[in-house]
Amino acid sequence: MVWAFWGASALAVAGALATILARGPIRSALALLVTILGLAALFVLLDAHLLAAIQVIVYAGAVVVLFVFVIMVLGPAAEPSGPGGRALVARGLSVIALGWIGWRIVRALWAAERAADVPDGFGTTVAVADSIFGPFLVPFELVSILLLVAVVGAIALARAKHAAGGPS
Amino acid sequence: MIGLGHYLALSGVLFTIGAIGFTTRRNVLVALMSIEIMLNAVNLAFVAANRFRPENHAGQTIAFFTIAIAAAEAAVGLAIVVSLFRVKKTVRSDEADAMRG
Repeated sequence: MVWAFWGASALAVAGALATILARGPIRSALALLVTILGLAALFVLLDAHLLAAIQVIVYAGAVVVLFVFVIMVLGPAAEPSGPGGRALVARGLSVIALGWIGWRIVRALWAAERAADVPDGFGTTVAVADSIFGPFLVPFELVSILLLVAVVGAIALARAKHAAGGPS
Repeated sequence: MIGLGHYLALSGVLFTIGAIGFTTRRNVLVALMSIEIMLNAVNLAFVAANRFRPENHAGQTIAFFTIAIAAAEAAVGLAIVVSLFRVKKTVRSDEADAMRG
């Protein structure tokens, strides 16, 4: 159990670092996949089996594939090459500032402890569905509307303009 | 023994990596992936907090909503990237300067 946690978290952190450090976006997308699978393993360790399955299906199966698809559509232009050192100071400052804030947060969170007795049926599909379709029914319906709006908006944004002369 | 603190600290580490990636990378695609890392870190915190307070499933339910919203965000964000590429022929965020004063 302990080794599973450290293995999965090492996988997640290594994937996240590779995502932001990789040269090309396609490598970033594959590193993001590693992070997502590591987090799915952590969800299993946390007895959230349904969420682990959703994580793999929605993130690995839909979001990463969408990223890869867009990278393929854009072609070589998705990998811009050019002078990168222009704002080196700003980037270094943001790394230092965010790293310091993150370090303080991690140090504060590290001390959190709680007893962990898991009742029967925790994290099963039935239990999570009872929560979603019980106290969270209204947010669930709002999320469905949000997804519909997002799909319509994505199509409206990405569709080619056929009428010439429109505002670009 | 792995406790709640370990999971929350890991969540903080992942969120920090995502925030640094978002502010330092110029490629819009990588910036969007950094946002996904941050959303995943928050999800881990929700699920871990739910595991160590298992009277109800509020944390897992909110993590479920976060996954749905992240999918919508990725769809709209990538549509914006495609739209930007159509206008500017680039995916570098510092060349999207149409609103520069």
